[in-house]
Amino acid sequence: MMIALLSLPALAMFVASFLHTPRARRFLPLSSVAILIPVAMLFFHPKPWRLWGDYLVADDLDSYVLLVASVVGIGVTLALLTLGRHVEIGEAAYRRFYRFFALFWIGLIVSILANHMGIYWIGLEMATLSTVYMIKTHHSAAAHREAWNYMIVGAIAISLVLFGIILIYASAKPVLGEKAMLFDALLAQAHAIPSPFLFEMGFALATMGMFVKMGFFPMNLWLANIERASYYPVAALFSGILESAVILGFFRFSTVARAVNEPHLVGFVFVYTLLTIFVVAFLIYRAKDFMRLFSLSGIEHMALIALFWVGGGTFAALLHFGAHAFLKPALFLSTGVLESRGRYHIAGALRGYRGFRGRLFVFLVGLFLLAIVSLPPSPMFFSELYGFGAMVDAAESSHHLLAMIGATLLLLILLSVIFYRFVAIYQSMRYEGEAEERPVYAAELAALALFAAGLLLLITPTAMEFLRRIV
Amino acid sequence: MVDLLIGIFLATLITALFTTRLYRLLMWYSLNSLSLGLLALLLGRSQHDGAMVASGVITLLLKAGAIPWILKRLSQRFALERRIVPNIRIQYAIMLVPAILVFTFYLAEPISHMVSGNANDVAISISSLFLALLLMMEHRNIAPKIVGFLAMENALFLLGTTATGGMPMLVELGIFFDLLMAIVVINLLLRREEVRR
Repeated sequence: MMIALLSLPALAMFVASFLHTPRARRFLPLSSVAILIPVAMLFFHPKPWRLWGDYLVADDLDSYVLLVASVVGIGVTLALLTLGRHVEIGEAAYRRFYRFFALFWIGLIVSILANHMGIYWIGLEMATLSTVYMIKTHHSAAAHREAWNYMIVGAIAISLVLFGIILIYASAKPVLGEKAMLFDALLAQAHAIPSPFLFEMGFALATMGMFVKMGFFPMNLWLANIERASYYPVAALFSGILESAVILGFFRFSTVARAVNEPHLVGFVFVYTLLTIFVVAFLIYRAKDFMRLFSLSGIEHMALIALFWVGGGTFAALLHFGAHAFLKPALFLSTGVLESRGRYHIAGALRGYRGFRGRLFVFLVGLFLLAIVSLPPSPMFFSELYGFGAMVDAAESSHHLLAMIGATLLLLILLSVIFYRFVAIYQSMRYEGEAEERPVYAAELAALALFAAGLLLLITPTAMEFLRRIV
Repeated sequence: MVDLLIGIFLATLITALFTTRLYRLLMWYSLNSLSLGLLALLLGRSQHDGAMVASGVITLLLKAGAIPWILKRLSQRFALERRIVPNIRIQYAIMLVPAILVFTFYLAEPISHMVSGNANDVAISISSLFLALLLMMEHRNIAPKIVGFLAMENALFLLGTTATGGMPMLVELGIFFDLLMAIVVINLLLRREEVRR
């Protein structure tokens, strides 16, 4: 019943996308709001809630991720209302975008709620394939090339994940049988897995697949190129929803890996994420357009979330995740407005907006830009504070305090490079260049206000208390 | 018989790497899938595993029959380039393929005693995965890249069959569903390509 309720808005959206009436077009954004009802119901039900046997199980973690993803979905559909005013898009392409968005949604709901590695993979693959066509909605040579690239690189990444899942399943099948596919069964019997080496190989491969999907080292630029080539709502969906499902998978796999061999997990993830942030910091420093800048910054934040999660700062990781999921789509949607009808220069990009809407837009974009570099009171400021604190606390008990302090210092240096670049860009947008009047529409402002409200809610004591309780 | 089928699986994949004609490549993919389907049928029958038999039947129908046929029709409809010359010269590819095989046997050595099936079969599955990746990388044209993606999926299916004695039926069905969706998306992308031309 609950699964039907959760999938109903997406199914309605899918059906409505075939109708050719203007009413259907108005219905499309409304259908995304309807998902809030079943998601809210998830919060009031005792957990774990077995929605479909052992396969789909709702717990606090996936309810939180689903709520965040739903809010992002609503924001993106609001912004889609005015997409045609900023870019050239035909009616058929618009409806087809929604059709694949609905399939993407269904894939993600399945993937987020999955307690089964195979079902998690199937959902993620479905979402990946539907995104391919969303990229192609943009009729340009670059979008066409990037859609194929996404198909190929996405297929390689998702195959690595499946490869890892097969090895993990093979490692635990002798003791768990077919239950070796279930995350909770794997966690409960982690100490009894007869071949921990095989499990760890599987985990490393699955993690590499997930990291490639998020643009980690060595695939730092593929996602940025795709987001640059496609319409801006696609980039918002990638950063706010698809990456949420991917990082949730990482949370699930790494929780089991921690129970199997924690030092190996920490070593592997630390080296991988530090390398990623090292490369990305310099790429951000050289970035010359908004889309690439925000895309690369997304990689940096996903790496930080993974780092905090394995470093013992699970609360910090979840707070950072929520903040990033709201901030990055907000910035991508703002980019759509800033680059309206193809015009865009960093210098003076935030000048020329008049009236209440214009002033509100400038205020919100400034807020998001400064929040993404963790200026207080951004939730990212608190998450980084708690995250680095948790990493040092964990190192104290593991005799690796010096290495951890060294890693933290390196990270702080890299983050300050990123901070410097973002502040310089903000100043250039605000105080340099020519002022040029550009339109801002109510729907996209509503989306940005929704994301700002989400950010504010994250730093309320109730939300923080809930996040602490999750793990 | 199992060894023979796995041998045919590997041989068809290696031959596909050197193919320079699209329809021939589709035929090698079809034979690759045929050996995989027969292998699943054989193992399923010997282990009395109904799910694996069903997977084998679906593999035969879908991957050995329907998908190569659909891809051939799509290539005709959208007039795809039928001459597909690999970027890697044949003399280098001939050295690369055995190197990949030796490397994967070396890579799989530590896990050979940890899996329930034959260790060599697992090593062949992993090498097939790398060979499929090579197939995707060595071509500029779209069609061989698609076949590489499908061959990679075959290699994973073989790994699932040999290393774990078969994945749960639900997962197999899900993978087949995703494969069909991939074909739909490929069709749409090709259609757009035609519009662009």
